[in-house]
Amino acid sequence: MPDTPRPRQPIKPGFFTVPDDPAQAPKLLGTRCDTCGEYFYPRRAVCAKCMSRKTSEVELDARGTLYSYTFVHLPLFGSTNMEHADGYGVGQIDLPEGPRIQSPLAGKQAEFKVGQALEGELAVLRDDGGTDIMIVRFRPVGEARQ
Amino acid sequence: MREVAILGVGMHPFGAYYSGKSNAEMSLVAGLGALDDAGLTFADVNAAYAGHIFATVMSGTRIMKEFGLTGIPVQRIENASATGSAALREAYLAVSAGHYDVAMVLGFDKMTTMIQSGTAGTAPENMEDAILPAGFFAMWATRRMHERGTKPEHLARIAAKNFNNGAHNPMAQRQAKEHITPEKVLASGMVAWPLTRMMSCPIGDGAACAIVGTVEMAKKLRPGRPVVKIVASTLQSERYERGHIFQGPVVGPARMSVDSSNAVYEQAGVGPKDLDMVQVHDAFVIEELEYYELLGLCKTGEAEKYIEEGAFEIGGSLCAVSTDGGLIARGHPGGPTGLAQIWETTLQLRGEADKRQVRRKNGDLPRLGMCHMMGGGSVCVIHLLQRA
Repeated sequence: MPDTPRPRQPIKPGFFTVPDDPAQAPKLLGTRCDTCGEYFYPRRAVCAKCMSRKTSEVELDARGTLYSYTFVHLPLFGSTNMEHADGYGVGQIDLPEGPRIQSPLAGKQAEFKVGQALEGELAVLRDDGGTDIMIVRFRPVGEARQ
Repeated sequence: MREVAILGVGMHPFGAYYSGKSNAEMSLVAGLGALDDAGLTFADVNAAYAGHIFATVMSGTRIMKEFGLTGIPVQRIENASATGSAALREAYLAVSAGHYDVAMVLGFDKMTTMIQSGTAGTAPENMEDAILPAGFFAMWATRRMHERGTKPEHLARIAAKNFNNGAHNPMAQRQAKEHITPEKVLASGMVAWPLTRMMSCPIGDGAACAIVGTVEMAKKLRPGRPVVKIVASTLQSERYERGHIFQGPVVGPARMSVDSSNAVYEQAGVGPKDLDMVQVHDAFVIEELEYYELLGLCKTGEAEKYIEEGAFEIGGSLCAVSTDGGLIARGHPGGPTGLAQIWETTLQLRGEADKRQVRRKNGDLPRLGMCHMMGGGSVCVIHLLQRA
């Protein structure tokens, strides 16, 4: 008998999908303006560019290029959940549709370079009474490009 | 619209006092100091604006009772780091419009209490809050290094300048006992790469106060003393551009500082070359570097060259910046921070800044100063102060 998969849920609803199939990558929950075509993350009701109220909910692939990044050596206030020994990475990632998002990074500082391709993955932040609480992190794919 | 002057300023030294000092205690020192400086009593005050971020509800109205109970309107103003600046702007607008002749602007906060109680806006449960301010501004630095070849040494030089300015400011939280070198700044421990501890503002407490009134009152109350006028004021929020970041308690696009500074230059009929000194929101040193260019003190891409020349030091070739130590050394408790900039600029324009006094190349006292603050969310608030 295979083990029953542990239930997984996002740390906060409304930001990304947690597919039933653990092999599948998460999708980012965004918005596209029906009037001017601008994309946004996270979701919003009114277009920030043309202020149209005609907007659609879209799922965006979790991939993009690294605009900037850092490794933080301060603990989050009250947090014991993230590893701080070598700092934890956070980055700003440009999605091909236009939005610039902020996300934790997976990997060591030496693996990151401005302009490189990244892809998002789900990671377990903590166990909440038998349910895995999931976050999205981005890690490098392929070669850094200029 | 009437001309508006800074009638008086006062401060309680910034510091990490924890339970040692209450907001009321610090506010009394700052507020009574400002009233004395103006030559007024609380009975002369027509309205009060209290700026605090972290203190609980009612704090502003309750603390104002320490000065007296005269029935005047008391209004709390909050706009993150720009709280004190935003409160000053409300007083400026009200006096300018003729609603009041004398308005008191009081800023106070105890960031040490906020940290201890764990009621920060940053909680591990909020994924978007994984980006702390230090991390956010560190990403400005990483990007700048990528685009312009900026070195950590450039950042360290700015921090060293601010520490050494702060050493001459009795109100500064960080009082360097020796001359601070860039090497010491670089070796002070990493906060968020490439920003070190000495490139980041400290956590602290404090209070600051400005009394705002008409120019006529300023002349009458303190005859013979230079009158310091507020000649321009702006508060702007973000404008959307592609690449705007919507997550987290961030500080907005670079364009905010460009647009806001252009607005005050236009209001006052001046340009960046007319500035004798500038106070900026240097919560992290990379900000000060960017603001040199965004406020027009030098051209885009030239900041590093001028930093190497010491152009932004007191007596430097371009314009003295963060003369009181800035947020890095003077400190950044929250509510009072923007008013500490007003305190500093007012003293400088009057020629009362002692060992850190800015002078023009011909030896004259400075005439025009800028106070620039950013508030998370985000807003940019700028005031121009001019000696009449």
